[in-house]
Amino acid sequence: MIRDFENRMPEISKLTELRKLLLNMEQSMGLQDLSTVERDIYYAASDHRADNHVTGAVKTTVLQDHALLANVSRPTFFRALKSLQSKGYLEQCKNSVRGYYIVKIPAR
Amino acid sequence: MVQPKTVALLNLSKEAAIVSLAYIGAFFATFEILMPAQNLLFPDFASRASLLFLPHGVRVLAAWLLGWRSVLTLLPGVVLVFVYVAGWGAFAPSRLAAIAVAVLVPAACFTLLRLLGRDLRPAADRAPCWLCLIGVGLVISILTSVLTNYAFGSAPKDYIAYLIGDFFGLFFLMLILMFVFRFLRHARS
Repeated sequence: MIRDFENRMPEISKLTELRKLLLNMEQSMGLQDLSTVERDIYYAASDHRADNHVTGAVKTTVLQDHALLANVSRPTFFRALKSLQSKGYLEQCKNSVRGYYIVKIPAR
Repeated sequence: MVQPKTVALLNLSKEAAIVSLAYIGAFFATFEILMPAQNLLFPDFASRASLLFLPHGVRVLAAWLLGWRSVLTLLPGVVLVFVYVAGWGAFAPSRLAAIAVAVLVPAACFTLLRLLGRDLRPAADRAPCWLCLIGVGLVISILTSVLTNYAFGSAPKDYIAYLIGDFFGLFFLMLILMFVFRFLRHARS
């Protein structure tokens, strides 16, 4: 019971989780333009960003290893990744080797 | 070097400040803005209960994000609101019972659901489910309404009013937050 009072989530993660919840609500209401796989990749990238906000970039292999994407095939994963880039949700890191992406706020 | 326990206490204090301020803010938004509108739209509705009780949304979201920590973080806000409304009467047995119900029932419901095999807590391996949260919020509304109004000895119409107010309070709070986050995204881009 005492362990239930321990803070297992850092502050930035709580805000990230709330944002993910509301993003889920947006999608259900048809206000979001992401498919389920795209949304899960974005969640995975946001989780990594929340855990590692010093660097901000996430590697594709880290995303592929995320629990939410365990059942997503490679072709589907890379198609969705490309789509997220075109929609402005992710941006390929320019000052690094290939395979690193930064979570962005898409312009509308 | 700062001791881990001191850090933990500071974090808990910060969470309590944020959650309690959110609760108090939601309370004033409900009773200073929404209640007058409710009285205009439904003048024959005699209950003092709000039909759009935003603080319930704060309770549910706090319990979802913080688990049992939400009890400690909600307590200052809930007590302050009761004192604002009832003065020293806030410490009457019926009101103390209502305070306990308000802070304990949300976390208890999420724990019970977890024990029954449906863990809705935020986790890396599952996407959040807002509809599930609304469903749990409804269960919390039912329990809170029954227990609080039983403690107060309220009329049956108050049970229904609390239930409606809590349920729509949660839904509309989430809707408001959704649009706030969308606005912030647009403003940044």
